[in-house]
Amino acid sequence: MKQWLLGLPSGAACLLTLIMLSISAPVSARPVTYTGGQVLVADVHPDSMAWRYGYSGSFRWSASVGGLYVDDFQGQETLDINYIRGARLLKRWNWPKAQANVFVWGGVGHARTASKSDISGHAGFQADFETRRIYTSVVSEHYEGPSWRYRTDTVALGFAPYEHDFDKTALWLVVKGMRATHSKDDDPKSALMLRLFNPKWWLEVGVHDNGDLLGNVMFNF
Amino acid sequence: MNHSIKLFFVALSLIFALTAKAEEVNSIEVEVNGLVCAFCAQGITSAFAKEPQTQEVLVSLEHRLVAIELKPGTDMSDDRVTEVLVDAGYDVVGMKRTQRSVAMIRETMDTNTSSHHHE
Repeated sequence: MKQWLLGLPSGAACLLTLIMLSISAPVSARPVTYTGGQVLVADVHPDSMAWRYGYSGSFRWSASVGGLYVDDFQGQETLDINYIRGARLLKRWNWPKAQANVFVWGGVGHARTASKSDISGHAGFQADFETRRIYTSVVSEHYEGPSWRYRTDTVALGFAPYEHDFDKTALWLVVKGMRATHSKDDDPKSALMLRLFNPKWWLEVGVHDNGDLLGNVMFNF
Repeated sequence: MNHSIKLFFVALSLIFALTAKAEEVNSIEVEVNGLVCAFCAQGITSAFAKEPQTQEVLVSLEHRLVAIELKPGTDMSDDRVTEVLVDAGYDVVGMKRTQRSVAMIRETMDTNTSSHHHE
């Protein structure tokens, strides 16, 4: 990602960097929303970037198109995937003051590395539990081509300093632990994120334990 | 003459009564489980906005409440209200019909929240 940014004029690169950092974390977005709901997500990490547009036919399933770009994939190449995917809500629990969900998804795409192009497949899983003050989630995604694999695992624990209501902007502090396997750096990392959202938009910005910035943005419409 | 005056007032009373009936506010207040996230609950307002009977919708995470104010002279069945909320991904716990507008419900909630915070 840093390499292709260097190829842009400095002003455009700065603007794009700011936009990308002001947006960041589709892994924490729910893969299915509500009947007729559309979501646009962009996610930026120090060595990867992703985007997704999803349409939910009901609160139980959605269809998406998206892309994933991984920098310095397996130490020397880049990985660029464009995909279509379907997601399903396997189970939801609605309690008076809490909600929990289990989602799964899978898809196919076209993957390009520096040396070749392949058909790729991917699958993912998300479990989350949320109250108005506490948020936890576990997300795992696996991408695979004929000669490569890429996997990300993320756990998140969030705390809201106050209980937001529907028409107010929510503020959360979220701690994440994440690991990208088969990428440039396989070591687990942690990140501290600031999350803001209201019914229409969602914004997360944060910093890794090594000082790298990351973030995500989503729009609900 | 007296008879005519009586008839006039009776007619006037009937007109007032009918007018008052026409202006009566009808709302449906629903207690909902799973209301914890504004970003996720946006589907509720979108879904009810598509219903032709809907005048205004209120979602309160704090009160676990969805209130739908109906347009004058219209109605929405309990089954339809439940269907919309279930399609949005939530569980209906209870439902009641009231004559409070969404503005009145919001005002009552604000007052209760304010007095609760001052206790």
